Amino acid sequence: MEPTRLSDVVWEIAREGGMRVPGRIYASDAIMEAVLQDRSVDQVANVAHLPGIVEASFAMPDIHWGYGFPIGGVAATDIDDGGVVSPGGVGFDICCGVRLIASRFDESEFHENAGEVMAQLDRRIPRGAGKGGIAPGSLTGEILRDGAVAAVEAGYGVERDLERCEENGRSDGANPSTISDKAIKRGSDQIGSLGAGNHFLEIQVVDRIEDPEAAQAFGLAEGMVVVMIHCGSRGLGHQVCTEHLRLMGDAMARHGIEVPDRQLACVPVGSEEGQRYLGAMAASANFAWANRHILAHETRVAFAAAFGSTPDETGMDLVFDVAHNLAKVEKHQVNGSEKTLCVHRKGATRAFGSGHLGLPGDLRDVGQPVLIPGSMGTASWVLKGLTDNPAFGSAAHGAGRLMSRKKAKSQQSGRDVRRSLEERGIAIRPGSVGLLSEEADYAYKDVDAVVDVCKRAGLAAPVARLVPLGVVKG
Amino acid sequence: MPHSTLEHTADTGLEASADSLPQLIEELALGMFELMAAIGGCPDDHMVEATVEATSTEDLVVDTLSELLYLSETEGVHFCRFEVEPGGKFAVEIQATGVATEDVELTGPPIKAVTYHQLQVVETDEGWTATVYFDV
Repeated sequence: MEPTRLSDVVWEIAREGGMRVPGRIYASDAIMEAVLQDRSVDQVANVAHLPGIVEASFAMPDIHWGYGFPIGGVAATDIDDGGVVSPGGVGFDICCGVRLIASRFDESEFHENAGEVMAQLDRRIPRGAGKGGIAPGSLTGEILRDGAVAAVEAGYGVERDLERCEENGRSDGANPSTISDKAIKRGSDQIGSLGAGNHFLEIQVVDRIEDPEAAQAFGLAEGMVVVMIHCGSRGLGHQVCTEHLRLMGDAMARHGIEVPDRQLACVPVGSEEGQRYLGAMAASANFAWANRHILAHETRVAFAAAFGSTPDETGMDLVFDVAHNLAKVEKHQVNGSEKTLCVHRKGATRAFGSGHLGLPGDLRDVGQPVLIPGSMGTASWVLKGLTDNPAFGSAAHGAGRLMSRKKAKSQQSGRDVRRSLEERGIAIRPGSVGLLSEEADYAYKDVDAVVDVCKRAGLAAPVARLVPLGVVKG
Repeated sequence: MPHSTLEHTADTGLEASADSLPQLIEELALGMFELMAAIGGCPDDHMVEATVEATSTEDLVVDTLSELLYLSETEGVHFCRFEVEPGGKFAVEIQATGVATEDVELTGPPIKAVTYHQLQVVETDEGWTATVYFDV
């Protein structure tokens, strides 16, 4: 099936077969050319089969081939019209997301202390496969129930961090009793850990301000050193999704549902299985928010140790924390009527505009920060959500992969990628040098181009461009 | 080759073939762990056993590989040798052996989960073949 252009950066996949709505892809010509090289268009069309889906099966400009949903996929289902929830529309890494932290340091101060900063982070940030986390497993129960709030109560980070976190770092809908013993066992040794793959902790500098008013409200200034953390719910989330995909796969027939890809297994939101999944998803999200919160706390401690100050003196306040793998129950206008929707964002970021009551009070006049990390060694962006967002308040979540890991590894060795970064003045502490080539910048789309499409499509507006100074990876 | 890698933009997959279903699962398990780290030889440092029961052949493959990922992560073992025996209609008994994960250098990203995306497990005249994609 061939997408047709509707306007500047908006493409449509016409309804056909079992599609209940059209597909809508936000892409420039160059991005669309890349999109057509893999199976992501088919996946956008497959998502359009979900019962209760409204308006369109959306794809953000960082779209690429996923499993079931495309990465960069957004789908909203009408809960009151039998709309479904699909764990595949959230992903295995439930509430994977990004946290951005400001600081009082500038670039020259970082470079003067870079060696010690990187050494402290290398020592303090658990990463890679398997076990090892900053916080004890005994906190698991509280974290599943209360997310980052539990982390603050346990002495990690500060309460102000909660104000600038999506859902204030704690989802009210969490039902820890739905989390299996296996999931708890997988996650309890990983509280406060980065993971591996495309997860990272990156030190950046604010290179350019596009929207001075929004930047000031967010707490950003040109030349400021910031830290971006990308990770999720670790093994706990992976296990929860695995288990619920299985349960839903078995339950679908009872609900009379068929989907073109079993990874799109789904049940009505109001069903017992649906409610059970949403409760487990929310508890897993709490785990992820606590995870990023604790990593941020340890980052403050690392910077304080490197600069010979206290964590409070680092000025490392949270700019925002936003998820990009989550299903949220939200109210939106559909054909002139307010509907209660289950909005799936799979590799897509919530992007609420100004005036939304879900935003912290000090950001309500500005709009929600939208965090878009680039690939390793390239820029990242901070944008703001817009009130007329055409995709249920959603935007891109990253640069989006361009090539397979196998192909990326064949281009350069991990050592060459490391050398290239260091020659550009970017300090790096990898957990495994061998994995670096899979995450090299040539494996991803141009993040500036992705952000440009977000702007042209009215998804989100650029606020600040960030460039890397140092990277810690699993 | 009994198993080979399938390309995918963000994730990774395997296709495998074998004479029997238990051998197919052994090949997929071997391939899955080799995607994360290929180690020379396989010392008998750590061994775990498990029984997996499912309601279909496809589910048995996914559930067995998922169980191995769970055991690897919770036991801290990177598995490199597998013995799979039939345990019933859609059931197997597995013995997996390996080395401590902390002693292994990753050559591929850790696998988060086994997906149902384009999953195929087929019995042919020559034996069994399968296609499985993983989330990394």
